[in-house]
Amino acid sequence: MTRRSPSQTIMIYSLALLLGAVLLAPVLWLFIMSVSSTRDLTALPLTWIPETISLENYAKLLGGGGSTVAESFLTALRNSLIVALSATAISLAVAVPAAYSFSRLPGRRRKSLLFVAIATFMMPPVAIVLPLYAMMGELGLLNTHLSLILVYCGILVPFTTWLLKSNFDGIPMDLDEAPIIDGANRLQVIWHVTLPIAKPALGAAALMAVLMAWDEFFYALLFTNDIRAKTLPVAIADFAAGRVADYGLISAAGILATIPPVALAYFLQKSLVSGLMSGSVKG
Amino acid sequence: MTGLTLKQVNKKFGEFPVIHEVDLSIDSGELVVFVGPSGCGKSTLLRLIAGLEDITSGEFWIGGQRADQLLAAARNIAMVFQSYALYPHMTVAENIGFPLKLAKLPRARIAEKVAAVGESLRLGALFDRKPGQLSGGQRQRVAIGRALARDPKVLLLDEPLSNLDAALRLEMRMELSRLHKQLAATMVYVTHDQVEAMTLADRIVIMREGKVEQVGTPLELYSRPANVFVAEFIGSPKMNVFSADLDRSGGNPVIRLSEQTALSAEGAAGSRVFAGIRPEHMTPVDDGGLRGVVTAVEHLGADTLVHFDSAFMEGGIARINGISGVRTGENIGFQVAAEQYHLFSENGNRL
Repeated sequence: MTRRSPSQTIMIYSLALLLGAVLLAPVLWLFIMSVSSTRDLTALPLTWIPETISLENYAKLLGGGGSTVAESFLTALRNSLIVALSATAISLAVAVPAAYSFSRLPGRRRKSLLFVAIATFMMPPVAIVLPLYAMMGELGLLNTHLSLILVYCGILVPFTTWLLKSNFDGIPMDLDEAPIIDGANRLQVIWHVTLPIAKPALGAAALMAVLMAWDEFFYALLFTNDIRAKTLPVAIADFAAGRVADYGLISAAGILATIPPVALAYFLQKSLVSGLMSGSVKG
Repeated sequence: MTGLTLKQVNKKFGEFPVIHEVDLSIDSGELVVFVGPSGCGKSTLLRLIAGLEDITSGEFWIGGQRADQLLAAARNIAMVFQSYALYPHMTVAENIGFPLKLAKLPRARIAEKVAAVGESLRLGALFDRKPGQLSGGQRQRVAIGRALARDPKVLLLDEPLSNLDAALRLEMRMELSRLHKQLAATMVYVTHDQVEAMTLADRIVIMREGKVEQVGTPLELYSRPANVFVAEFIGSPKMNVFSADLDRSGGNPVIRLSEQTALSAEGAAGSRVFAGIRPEHMTPVDDGGLRGVVTAVEHLGADTLVHFDSAFMEGGIARINGISGVRTGENIGFQVAAEQYHLFSENGNRL
């Protein structure tokens, strides 16, 4: 550890505090709003610290008496979970063999295919939403989980493939050949050696994929129109769309919507630790 | 354990030939070393045997079975990689047991086998460690253990010692030698180090530019090199090779190294030959002999290397036993017994 002068130390800590404040202030404000009463929130001048703390908004969302609010929130939560987790699982199932093939198998055309895959990822959603909408309509998939899962896979497969491919590239070729000599076939190589070594990248890819699917708003807004398939971002937006926007309720929904991804990140944390490669081959 | 046979094996990468018409037969239980400068194709030849590369043409047999179309997994050949290629997420015991797990052996049988291999390689205490917690020599032993676990027909080793430091390399060399005797296993060993080749091999295969230059026991290669390349590759310091004009005035062709010394070069064609003398076969004499001027002296303790320039060659080296009082700039003469000369024709082949 190098020595720092006191002024440097003060500077670093104050900048870190500033960064923390900038990152956390909106979350904190969201939380305060969610436990404030409507009266406190609409009062002028603004009361930063609410006079009374009420969990009423949370109770309302989580099914206090089977209200329509609770129903739409809870089904949206369920829809979001189904869509995000299925899209992530399917994408990873496709991306792992794809990334392995891009990273390990020969062929010039294979490489150009990777660029095509990445190019689709670059395309703005607005450009393809109309044809997609028409296709979904034709297939009778509008307002279903499947439509969103399909579209999200279209976004996630190139992204996760690319992420995993660059990670597989870092695994020495010897670690493919050693298991083959030991009697494994390609799938066994991937299952027993490549994937365990790439676990951190796999965790990161899964996390990013879930987050992207969880937060997606644009397609979800257009392809769904009632609680059968509406996901959380759309449902929350609906709370704001009425004649009177209930800010407390929206905030509470926002807080609840962040819990699943944060929990997932917490559980994947362990697999995200790197340094698994050490000791395998001498660099 | 089984022998291996290669018949006119060729390998091309695209249009580029890397292995050219290799004919080789390796006996059961033999330790054969492929040696040559980097890029000579020795590692490629090993990978062809392992099944990591396909041969372009020719035949490859394992014992009595044609094997060039067999998948690597079906050949029952084990390999130790230069980089060790241990599985970083598995413990030592899991690494060694991995080939057995793939072969679907019952768990108890795997544990038994792993314990036996671990004991013979003194790895027992390390079974629960991951490769990252091992030293270089220990990793090397785990890699060998993994290769031995399923009793392969043939064991291939690709420059297994090149990542170790000098002391450890010597120790592992002895260990490998002991292992070979103990297992009586057919082993193919690739190295660029001629000392490793000389000390370990039953037979050496010297390669250059994808071709086999000579196959023979270490001493055959040392005493009867087939061509100038082999002569210079085997032995350290390397053989002094110089060109000499043929004198046909007396009927049989001879070369004249000095006023008194004429050497018969029977069977030589053309006007010149190459002559070679190993540095250790040159004895200093006061008068006569091959004369030269000392340009540098290296004292190694056990012996002394004398660098000299002379009329017949520049940059020659002689190796004198013990500590010598020879000084730089001194005029020196060497006596060489007639049978210690190696003569090669103009195209480099032994006469």
